[in-house]
Amino acid sequence: MERFDAIVVGGGPAGCASAYVMAKAGLNVLLFERGKFAGAKNMWGGAFFGPQLNELIPEFWKEAPVERFVTRHVLSFMAENGSTSLDFKSTRFCAAPYNGFILLRAKFDGWMAQKVEQAGAIVAAGMRVDDLLFQEGRVSGVKVGDEEFPSDIVILADGVNSLLAKKAGLRSDFLPEDMKQGVKEVIELPRETIEQRFNLVNDEGAAIEFVGTCTRGLPGGGFLYTNKNSLSLGLVIELGSLVKSKLKASDLLEEFKHHPDISRLIEGGRTVEYSAHLIPCSGLAMMPKLATGGALVTGDAAALLLGTGLILEGANFAIASGMAAAQTALEAKEKNDFSAGSLSRYEQLLKESFVLQDLNTFRGAPAFLKNRRIYELYPELAFEIFEAIFQSDGMPRKGTLQVVKEIIKRRTSMISIVSDLWKARKAI
Amino acid sequence: MNMIVCVKQVPDPEVPPAKFRIDAKTKQVMPPEGIPPVINPFDERALELALRLKDAYGGKITVLTMGSAKSESVVKRGISMGADDGFVLSDPSFQDSDSFGTAHILAAAIQKIGNYDLILCGRQASDWDEGVVGSIIAENLSLPFIALALAIEAADKALKVKRVTTDGYQVFSVPVPAMVTVCWDVGRPRLPSGSGVIMAARKKIPVWSAADIGVDAGQVGKGAARKEAAELSRREWARKCEIIQAETPDEAGTKLAEKLREVGAF
Ligand SMILES: Cc1cc2nc3c(=O)[nH]c(=O)nc-3n(C[C@H](O)[C@H](O)[C@H](O)COP(=O)(O)OP(=O)(O)OC[C@H]3O[C@@H](n4cnc5c(N)ncnc54)[C@H](O)[C@@H]3O)c2cc1C
Ligand SMILES: Cc1cc2nc3c(=O)[nH]c(=O)nc-3n(C[C@H](O)[C@H](O)[C@H](O)COP(=O)(O)OP(=O)(O)OC[C@H]3O[C@@H](n4cnc5c(N)ncnc54)[C@H](O)[C@@H]3O)c2cc1C
Repeated sequence: MERFDAIVVGGGPAGCASAYVMAKAGLNVLLFERGKFAGAKNMWGGAFFGPQLNELIPEFWKEAPVERFVTRHVLSFMAENGSTSLDFKSTRFCAAPYNGFILLRAKFDGWMAQKVEQAGAIVAAGMRVDDLLFQEGRVSGVKVGDEEFPSDIVILADGVNSLLAKKAGLRSDFLPEDMKQGVKEVIELPRETIEQRFNLVNDEGAAIEFVGTCTRGLPGGGFLYTNKNSLSLGLVIELGSLVKSKLKASDLLEEFKHHPDISRLIEGGRTVEYSAHLIPCSGLAMMPKLATGGALVTGDAAALLLGTGLILEGANFAIASGMAAAQTALEAKEKNDFSAGSLSRYEQLLKESFVLQDLNTFRGAPAFLKNRRIYELYPELAFEIFEAIFQSDGMPRKGTLQVVKEIIKRRTSMISIVSDLWKARKAI
Repeated sequence: MNMIVCVKQVPDPEVPPAKFRIDAKTKQVMPPEGIPPVINPFDERALELALRLKDAYGGKITVLTMGSAKSESVVKRGISMGADDGFVLSDPSFQDSDSFGTAHILAAAIQKIGNYDLILCGRQASDWDEGVVGSIIAENLSLPFIALALAIEAADKALKVKRVTTDGYQVFSVPVPAMVTVCWDVGRPRLPSGSGVIMAARKKIPVWSAADIGVDAGQVGKGAARKEAAELSRREWARKCEIIQAETPDEAGTKLAEKLREVGAF
């Protein structure tokens, strides 16, 4: 059987990025993707930050299937009877190199896989890697059904449920508390309707995040992103608390769609897609070992994903880790040394990049974000304060500060707010 | 046995119909963006039958598709399953050919390949479902034709072709070369192997133009079509629920039967 320089398992952002770099550098690369085509079964919210991809494929937005450029970010605190939002727009975000991109995975992954093929790698879609091959205690290739494919190095980019990282002895099972469940619908609407409803022109796009009643107070949040001719609407909820509360994410999504803030935005739309997927969310605390002899683990499979509550950055972390893994493989090839020691260079590269630095900066975020008050109390508090400020009830007005104080006192205590703020300062 | 299998690239039939749009102007079905077209599932079965013959008797399988340069993917699919060779037929003049045009183009390429014992087609293409291209190829090449074959045995310069009828089977004996379309009941086509996919990925698939296969542009394409699509519409399914009120099951049954007769269900 032919021996490949590198085999990549998984055709998501991490796998495609690493295969692309290695193939461009002249390695003989084989990428396996179990979906009928890359992107076939993949999902995400869809707001993507571009610098890493721009480094990999300069000015990628000129050819990649970008739905819209994010020019408007909204953060909305959803309360029982209304909502309080922060609405940010930037004219600087509408010009190259842009900042955020709204993308749909079926198209985006397909495009990435095509770039990988053009770079000279073989993309074998519809093929699931079932097992790893071992030789002298180190990974020496992969097994697909009965077929064996030997290689110098295997890059594991098989996503959040990476069975292969477990087989390689790099990680143990993830716990429900370390996971978030994502559910999403793609809702089709005419382009003009979207632009009117979200106050957009041309390729401008909006990324809206929701915190509060949309998850019934469970840790997590909602999102709504504008595609060209559709909206991506979804929820992300911590799996452990979902299980404990016996709630189903799909039911909560249905409820979310009926919230008055949402129902008017999606009115008349047609749901064309429903999907669900897990997100690793405990950051460094759940990060597996990143390297062993003959194998590296990247992207979601390595839990390299940043969730600060305001933003979820997964795809750019996946791309950056895929690129670092490729770099490690190229250096190992140069030395012809694929031992665990040689491949430990990968972790060093990640430490030098934003990947492990950001995860370190925000290492307190996962624990902080489990605080239920963020989802149950504060959206209500904000709502009551602004309601009191804006409401005219025919009585003499109180000073704003007085209003705030009274509401806080009724709802909670100043001490717990100060303590939460203090924790927030350190965590995010 | 030298075989040529005609395969068509079609929009993925596994995509739910609700996701397709109809373009009223071009009278085309528009698949959702980002979902790549696939090999016609009926043609995958024709390939499977060809592969079984190759397994049994040896020989060579050539895969042929008429479409755009992007149709290469269905030829590669055939090669990854075990076919040996393949060609894409693509030319601006081929566009919007009807079944006669399509068959004319395929027949010209088949003649260029030459030296064949058997040509196989699917029973129909899953996008337009006309099921006639195979028979027109047979006519163009003056070949014996058998539709809906289930199995084929080779017997000394002849083929024994078993075909399905409503209540049973028929076996025909035909001399080679012959043209045969293959029925669905052949069973699940084999999946490509990993090494097959690697081989297919590396294979260069030649694209033949009208000039390459000696097709006169006047005989194909929209201009030569013998019919014109006038309308394309989706079958609308309406759902209605009505609860029948009754005191006893007997009464409910009677009322239900009356209601069904009233709406013309029987
Ligand atoms: C609801 C939700 C919203 C999100 N929103 C955002 C967002 O807005 N922005 C953002 O940047 N990130 C977001 N993310 C996170 C982002 O999607 C992931 O971090 C990113 O996709 C990780 O990339 P990856 O390549 O590591 O893994 P994946 O994208 O999961 O890719 C893994 C690939 O491997 C394949 N595979 C798995 N096992 C095998 C096997 N055995 N053999 C062959 N192939 C295999 C899979 O089919 C898949 O294609 C979101 C995630 C979810 C679930
Ligand atoms: C843009 C457009 C415009 C059209 N305009 C017209 C028109 O004006 N008039 C009209 O009559 N029809 C028109 N058609 C329909 C088109 O002509 C049909 O594709 C053609 O008649 C073949 O019929 P079928 O696809 O139903 O194939 P079938 O007859 O059902 O196919 C049977 C078998 O033939 C083989 N086969 C069929 N097509 C190919 C192929 N391209 N390559 C290799 N093998 C093949 C396969 O083995 C297949 O299983 C149009 C189609 C398009 C996309």
